[in-house]
Amino acid sequence: MSEPDRSILPIRRETFAGVANRTLDGSRPDWNLIGHPMPPEGAPNVLLVLIDDAGFGNPSTFGGPIQTPNYTRMAEQGLKYNRFHVTALCSPTRAALLTGRNNHAVGFGSVGEFAGGFPGYSASLPRDCAPLPRILRENGYSTAAFGKWHLTPDGQQGPAGPFDRWPNGWGFDYFYGFLAGDSGQWDPCLIENQKVIGTPEGFYDEEDPYYFPDAMADRTLQWLHGVRAQDADKPFFIYFSTGCSHAPHHVSQAWAEKYKGKFDQGWDKLREETFARQKALGVVPADAELTPRADAFPAWDDVPDKLKSFYARQMEVYAGFSENADHNVGRVIDAIEELDELDDTVIIWIWGDNGASMEGTVTGSFNEMTMQNGIPLTDEMQLQLAERFGGMDKWGAQIMDPHYGAAWAWAGNTPFKWGKQVGSHLGGTRNPMVVRWPERITDTGSLRQQFGHVIDIAPTILDLAGIPQPQTVDGIQQEPMHGTSIASTFADANAHEFRTQQYFETIGNRGMYKDGWWLAMKTERIPWVVTPEALKPYAPGVWDPDAGPAELYYLPDDFTQAHDLAADHPDKVQELKDLFWEEAEKYKVLPLLATLSTFFGILPPMAEKTMFEFRGDVQNVLSGMIPRIYNHSYAISADVVVPEGGAEGVIVAESDHLGGFTLYVENGKLTHTYSMMGVFIFKQVAEEDLPSGEITVRMEFAADEAKPATGGEVTLFIDDRPVGKGRMDHTVPIRFSAYAGMDIGRDNGGVVDLAYEDRKPFAFTGTVKKVVFDIKPHLSDQDELGLHTESQRGQAAHSLSG
Amino acid sequence: MAKEPTDVLIGGYLSTEAAHEDYEAVLNCGAEIMGAVVVSKDMEGNLSVEQTDHMVKEGAEGLAGVGFVVGLFAPPLLAATAIGAVIGAGAGKVLHKKTGSKIEEEAGKTIPIGGAGLIVAYKHDHADTIEPAVARAVKKVVGEADGHHVEALKGALADAQKKMAKQGG
Repeated sequence: MSEPDRSILPIRRETFAGVANRTLDGSRPDWNLIGHPMPPEGAPNVLLVLIDDAGFGNPSTFGGPIQTPNYTRMAEQGLKYNRFHVTALCSPTRAALLTGRNNHAVGFGSVGEFAGGFPGYSASLPRDCAPLPRILRENGYSTAAFGKWHLTPDGQQGPAGPFDRWPNGWGFDYFYGFLAGDSGQWDPCLIENQKVIGTPEGFYDEEDPYYFPDAMADRTLQWLHGVRAQDADKPFFIYFSTGCSHAPHHVSQAWAEKYKGKFDQGWDKLREETFARQKALGVVPADAELTPRADAFPAWDDVPDKLKSFYARQMEVYAGFSENADHNVGRVIDAIEELDELDDTVIIWIWGDNGASMEGTVTGSFNEMTMQNGIPLTDEMQLQLAERFGGMDKWGAQIMDPHYGAAWAWAGNTPFKWGKQVGSHLGGTRNPMVVRWPERITDTGSLRQQFGHVIDIAPTILDLAGIPQPQTVDGIQQEPMHGTSIASTFADANAHEFRTQQYFETIGNRGMYKDGWWLAMKTERIPWVVTPEALKPYAPGVWDPDAGPAELYYLPDDFTQAHDLAADHPDKVQELKDLFWEEAEKYKVLPLLATLSTFFGILPPMAEKTMFEFRGDVQNVLSGMIPRIYNHSYAISADVVVPEGGAEGVIVAESDHLGGFTLYVENGKLTHTYSMMGVFIFKQVAEEDLPSGEITVRMEFAADEAKPATGGEVTLFIDDRPVGKGRMDHTVPIRFSAYAGMDIGRDNGGVVDLAYEDRKPFAFTGTVKKVVFDIKPHLSDQDELGLHTESQRGQAAHSLSG
Repeated sequence: MAKEPTDVLIGGYLSTEAAHEDYEAVLNCGAEIMGAVVVSKDMEGNLSVEQTDHMVKEGAEGLAGVGFVVGLFAPPLLAATAIGAVIGAGAGKVLHKKTGSKIEEEAGKTIPIGGAGLIVAYKHDHADTIEPAVARAVKKVVGEADGHHVEALKGALADAQKKMAKQGG
């Protein structure tokens, strides 16, 4: 077979070189026709690992307190990169990683769920930017992705697709994981390829419960073994993208207990300890200075003694969760080694996609969604809510969706300032990377200090595979990748700086790097505060981005951004400001703060659909796809058939006890339970039994006013006859859950009402023929517009925690 | 000689553990109390009431009809989602054994699922010992009134109720 033209994808089929006569007489086959494209000779396997919401100072491999023996093993057999950069937000880093292009240029200025109306924020991959997995697949690789995806808009995450925005559409032969920005690790609502498969059966096994990080590795091994059973030679590309260490921080007690007492010294001391280890390891220069604590983070000494154990436990769980991720990546590596293919596999392992996340707010939270729904809780309240659900021993269990306090994240980003969302500073943009490939790396265990960026990974993989970037894909001319291969650094510690310039932008926080200089332009908003008040200074006509604070650092002399040189180098400041604008225009970064446009009156069209009908047993409707009943009056009605002798079970349920609703029958009584993020729980029970036969049941919520989180009155009906009532003082304003789904006829995964937890999923024993949601408009258009605005603002705020 | 004022402290909690911790702390703080009651509701909606015998001795059945409010208020992180977070608007007829069923009836209506309330009555002289013992309430108010036992308790409870409602939004 001749070497194909790989610049045009899909690779054209072989030209028939045989002879086809009218009969077989004299005909000669060309067996090349039934072949398939193969990668160039010697193309290696690739294992690309991405850890979520973690910082430079987390893994022990880079001096952190979290034991990462497998990461260290790979570093000792490969290279450590200590000047590698990401984008300070989740989906943007993933988009850049998988396309080799700057995130805004491919529509991911923000997270995947929320598509905006500007090119840099559409969350829709342009067809002239074919992603890496597609290129590899077309060139003959077997491709698979496991874990977190986060590149599919809300509203497109169901059986109607479109699937070009799902992992298969990006070029993965196989996908097992979740589409959202995060997931429960005990009770995920999973996707396999193009189907929502929901919460695994193992969730119901109390003795040996399902755990997603373990299952991710199991599935990877299964897939790999299957591929090898069929084809011993075909190279593979595995994208192993952990849900860890994003909230909810779910891990078994056994893993968390390994860190018992390890964080009692608090975050200030932890930073100092980490920094000392980083210097001892050489991943931070000996003359580097530890940056100071920003006022937004409390001093550990100021934490009341009675709450110190509450905070320390948060970090113990996070650490155990993270070490478990290392363990499961190690299992995948071991399996590759067992196949005797480890040395034929390029392993690229990035520990964190945006620095560690500060979105747990100062207090941390028993439920990550409290922040996103704007429910402010003090640390004492958080502790009490944790007690409500079993206490701090259960902080990593399915009963909670925990997130640690912001200062732990800051400590995880040691030695840098800030963290996730803050694209202007290294806390949000610099993460550890390890590369292993004995074929080219000989001085194993060494450090590489070239300035790199996540856009450089895809070009590197293509370079190592000997595959050119395609000029056209599906007949569409391709935009060249923006990244540069880092392969030259494998064999040469002194290889030239392959990247001398890079812009950074996340939610208005900007960085411009050039030739060692870094201009940092951070908005004054604290990352976990997304209020109209906090955003007022950034309104159109008010905000002059160039007039805000600008810090200048020279990184070759100042690894941590400890010394602001802006006052001494005004010309350099101006030069980098000008350069940022050039880059911003070139890569579709503009308009700045497009992600938050809803706070300034720039809104997507209002939804026109207000009636939603579910027939049959529709299950696992993803959380961003459910009817948006929030802040409105609404009715949920169901046509059911109740057999003689009665029925029980769930008619319809969304999410779980940490935010959701359920309409169900127990002891013959129609019951409605509504959880306002686990903080407030409301329950109404009918006063008469449900009759047998074909009946219609209904719950109606009459909102008090057109206001977010409005209270209101609930009435239960059987065949239009009121049979029960009650009040809900507060409702969920933005979103019940980041990951849990809605089900008809049962309550899959974690249940909404713990009263039937022992019977989960508590399937309805009659028949649910149809469930209809009727979202009733408020009286005036002005009210509707106001709520639409608030809703969009809330979603924008939610989007920042991707 | 003027009678010593009576104080009634009301604490609101998001967990029953926290309420019981404070209840025990009050009982063990060394001060003399006229009575204490903790009312809580578990996650399945089951109500439990625990109270001291002191209440009976004080003969406070006259308090029937005076409610209390157990609440907490938290300013919104997103002004857009202004939540007047009142946890319960509890009413209790709290201070006599004979009214126990009424406590349950009233509190059952108003204590939120997973929440709890604590009420402590004491002579004002003991405030410096008792108030710090109530360390975990996410909301705490103290009402005060003069007069004889029942009258003072009623007044103090009403005062506390008013303060709680004012804070509770």
